[in-house]
Amino acid sequence: MAAPQPRFNPKKLWKNFHETYSQVIDGEWDLFMPQQATGLTVADLKETTAQFQKLIGDGKQNGLKVRAVGSSWSLSKAPTTTGWTFNTNRLRGRLKVKPADVDPAYPGTADQKAGLYLFQCGNTVADVNSALERDSEKRALFTSGAANGQTIVGATQCGTHGSALEFGALHDHIVALHLITTADKHYWIERKSRPVMAKVWVDGLGATLKRDDDLFNAAVVAFGSFGIIGAVVIETVPRYLLETHPTQAKLDESLWKAIGALDFSVPPFNGKKPYFFQAVINPSSDDVLIMANYRKDPAPDSYQPNYDLISDPKSIGPGFDALSTLSVILGAFKNVIPAFSKLAAKQLFDTKTKTGTPGEIYGYKPPLLFVASGSIAVALPDARRTLETLIKLYKDIGPVPVVLGCRYVRKSPALLAFNRFPIGLMISIDGVDGPTSRAFFAAAADRVEAAGISFTQHWGKANAYTPQRVAKAYGGNLQKWLDARRALIPAAADRALFDNDYIRERGLTG
Amino acid sequence: MLKRAIAALAMAATTGGCMQYLVQPPRPSLAGTPQTVQANSYVGGKVQQPSGHVTARQCANGEQLARVLVKRNFWQGFVNWITLGMVAPATIEYSCANAGEPPMGGGGS
Repeated sequence: MAAPQPRFNPKKLWKNFHETYSQVIDGEWDLFMPQQATGLTVADLKETTAQFQKLIGDGKQNGLKVRAVGSSWSLSKAPTTTGWTFNTNRLRGRLKVKPADVDPAYPGTADQKAGLYLFQCGNTVADVNSALERDSEKRALFTSGAANGQTIVGATQCGTHGSALEFGALHDHIVALHLITTADKHYWIERKSRPVMAKVWVDGLGATLKRDDDLFNAAVVAFGSFGIIGAVVIETVPRYLLETHPTQAKLDESLWKAIGALDFSVPPFNGKKPYFFQAVINPSSDDVLIMANYRKDPAPDSYQPNYDLISDPKSIGPGFDALSTLSVILGAFKNVIPAFSKLAAKQLFDTKTKTGTPGEIYGYKPPLLFVASGSIAVALPDARRTLETLIKLYKDIGPVPVVLGCRYVRKSPALLAFNRFPIGLMISIDGVDGPTSRAFFAAAADRVEAAGISFTQHWGKANAYTPQRVAKAYGGNLQKWLDARRALIPAAADRALFDNDYIRERGLTG
Repeated sequence: MLKRAIAALAMAATTGGCMQYLVQPPRPSLAGTPQTVQANSYVGGKVQQPSGHVTARQCANGEQLARVLVKRNFWQGFVNWITLGMVAPATIEYSCANAGEPPMGGGGS
């Protein structure tokens, strides 16, 4: 059955999910999925592609910029446009790639070949987890961010990561993507070194097949500026369980070994390397919340994930927009920040051991507006020096309602990946949105830079990137990325459709 | 000290009368962006605007509701207070829900 036609809503003010900023737009388009009795088909993908292409063409004709928007999750202005937004979060089709549709040259293992899935752009991370982890599939993502509300394309376009010690970020699952650039052009892009879908399948979609490592590595982390990503194909692993071991400790020399060098010979790990490791440092007290998650394989066949987020009717905790008021209180009464940080940690840190699939462990969270978050990534050998620099900054400028989350990610081949160090420490500066937190984010980048430490910043969170910092962080990869954008969208007027201030201010247009 | 006292007073004044409640299912799946409707309740809810109920117009093609947020800001609370509850304005924000879980396709055409 044909998909309903896109519907226009003359909405003029767009806000991100956490309401940390808003953007004036010229209206939004809702796109709908075709009715699917037996699941997504190539014909469905073609129909949605045609709808996107018409909207891109109409936008251009009307002199408007356009952008696809998923869950509006980004804390940076990466997804913004001044023109039309295309709401993609109803496009949740998914299909398991049939072995016959896989290119014979696909270099993956038999298990990887059996675990290839195509997800349309509007599937959230929660959707992907639930689709993969169900009984019929028994598969899983190999890493996942802490949240699950982002769409798979929105999260990966901005470089979202987790902290699985042996893997890269969420975008490192992607092995093929469908990119719609103009009213008359759409591409199926894969790495030349890792062909995935058979050419006959791509021809059936009507897309131009591009097999090129640089093009793929550019488009996979591109903040929506290469066009509309209609769908992605991901590699998965067999379903597994994680057992969480949360503990609290003081930041002493022993713990520095784990946080600064991933040496797990020290307590509380005692030689047992976690699959996922995160440490959250409260700079006001040197308290550290440790989350070490150990992998349990295989998950029992009968295991039924339960993703439900239930609020206890008798519980008392922060309201939906509690942080908007807290931000003002903490701004006026800075000396209560350390006590607040302790209380918040106690409230938010679950000290009970749990076992579940990745989709359960990194599942639904109570919604909260006005969160502030910015991340800085450095190479593991620079980990301790960077953290000490940030703790000193915290002590220099007085209490700030933020904590320092430490997560660890392997290098990605994506050209502008936030995870660009062989083993990177991603320091997530999380807290309450407000002038003091924002000032801390900006000063953090300045201090790390002044210390002569190479670093990158999370594209989807508050960041202090300048064209110079982007060029320094990514070197030759930046020019390759710009060249790839020009190769895929040759006309400047077509590229400009997807431009916004965010990429312009970072030297990523042209 | 004066600055803090002013901040505390401003906080008390601007949050007085405010409230909000968020309702969502255990697994929210949002379709589209949140839509905002201004509503008024008169004479203790005996008369309402919009009349009867608020229609979630953007939830088309079988979509239900994923999230409803009812909130009242300082000015809305103030109007409620000075009219002794005869006029109670509120802002309602709703998000549509994706209808069910799409089946897993198998790559046919």
